[in-house]
Amino acid sequence: MIKPLRKRHLQIWIALSVLLPVGIISAWLVVPQQVKDRLLQPKTTSEFPILIKNVKQRNPFIAIRSNADTSALQLEWSMRTELTYPSALIYQVSDSNKQIEDGNIIGRIDVRGTYYFALKKDSAVKDFHFIVYDIIHHKIIQRINF
Amino acid sequence: MSASYSAVGWNRQKKMYDWLLFGFCVSYFIIFIGLVAIFNPDYTFETVLLRSTSTLAVLLLHIILSIGPLTRINKKFLPLLYNRRHLGVTMFTIAFVHGAFGILQFHSQGNVNPVVSLFTSNTHFGSLADFPFQALGFFALIIFFLMAITSHDFWLHNLSPRVWKTLHMCVYVAYFLIIMHVMLGVIQFETNPVFVIIIMIGAFTLIALHIYAGIKEVKKDKEKFDLKKDGFVIVCHVNDIEEDRAKMFCIDKERIAVYKTGGKLFAVHNVCKHQNGPLGEGKVIDGCITCPWHGYQYLPNNGQSPPPFKEKVSTYDVKIEMGNVWVNPMPYPEGTERKGAIIEMRN
Repeated sequence: MIKPLRKRHLQIWIALSVLLPVGIISAWLVVPQQVKDRLLQPKTTSEFPILIKNVKQRNPFIAIRSNADTSALQLEWSMRTELTYPSALIYQVSDSNKQIEDGNIIGRIDVRGTYYFALKKDSAVKDFHFIVYDIIHHKIIQRINF
Repeated sequence: MSASYSAVGWNRQKKMYDWLLFGFCVSYFIIFIGLVAIFNPDYTFETVLLRSTSTLAVLLLHIILSIGPLTRINKKFLPLLYNRRHLGVTMFTIAFVHGAFGILQFHSQGNVNPVVSLFTSNTHFGSLADFPFQALGFFALIIFFLMAITSHDFWLHNLSPRVWKTLHMCVYVAYFLIIMHVMLGVIQFETNPVFVIIIMIGAFTLIALHIYAGIKEVKKDKEKFDLKKDGFVIVCHVNDIEEDRAKMFCIDKERIAVYKTGGKLFAVHNVCKHQNGPLGEGKVIDGCITCPWHGYQYLPNNGQSPPPFKEKVSTYDVKIEMGNVWVNPMPYPEGTERKGAIIEMRN
């Protein structure tokens, strides 16, 4: 290596010895303390013990569960294959003809796995209606009624 | 060294190097996927592909950037330098798989061009936490691409060493972009501090290696040779130089390599014409000074590459008095024949 190049290399690394720590530490300091998607996709606890109702199909397997004293409901949503959409929201609606504007957001699904979402307990509700909605393309992927 | 261009100048060393590299990459993928399967059974193909290629590319980049200073600190690392370009092209290929699949995964489902989407889906340039980190990786990949396609000697000769070297020094810009791509990307979503610690260890190791090697070179450059006579400078004792080896001296502005071979001393310019390698750190093989970086050769008496090659370096006058080696730092035109200094037994 010629002398000017040796000097240039050293200058660059002296500059990087300042820039890299500043960059790394600055980025580290702004790391969110909580997972960004917590509101839409909470890290739920383990599944509730009582199976109230479930769909016949295996994929996605969907079930309504309740806790031991039946004071709270839970939606179990288990995907055994990949979702072919980047991500999707699950809405609960009151009947099978309703649109998402009339429903409540239950949670978001993306990768393969089992999701548990809290449901509002309403003793009058006997049937459950869900819409899987593609939030990027704004279209309904699937309706689940059971 | 070759008189004509071929895609890859294969030889036994290069084949061994590439097989080792291939084995390392395959082993890395197998271990990575195995560990993910054990600790995260719900993994998806997309996740494991993105993460295995990204981590391997970052690891290879650190290895590539550490080879230069390591060879300046210890000559035992020179074999790593010999085929560093293949390591670089491999790293680019793996990074390209990561980048291309990332764009496909996150930007191909929209109604705009995926590359346009890369730059328009997140425009929070004013926010550090939400900074569009994918763009940083994209620009680093462009630099790696330019480096990879110009890595052949054809481009070195046609772009000129100055332009080529400047282009390839952009690797440091790319390295900074990659570190920030990681820090503003995956680190913002991964809560485990081990990832930040690994990145810090990598960056600080590189900084320490480069600055240590750089300071060592500066000290060598600043060595004073005060005793002068008739334009000659005393540099060392004749016994300080091993047979078929050299010692380097920085006299005035540039380094000179003084070689001992065949009972004589010869002085040539220390910088190889190929990629500015340090000729003084090489040795005499088959009667030729051989650059330790890529094996370019020069005859010690005239600084010319043996025919049909055309590379030439400057030569210098050297003499021995009372066992002391004297060098005249005024260079002769490249390829000028010099007699050398005969080493007498009493020396």
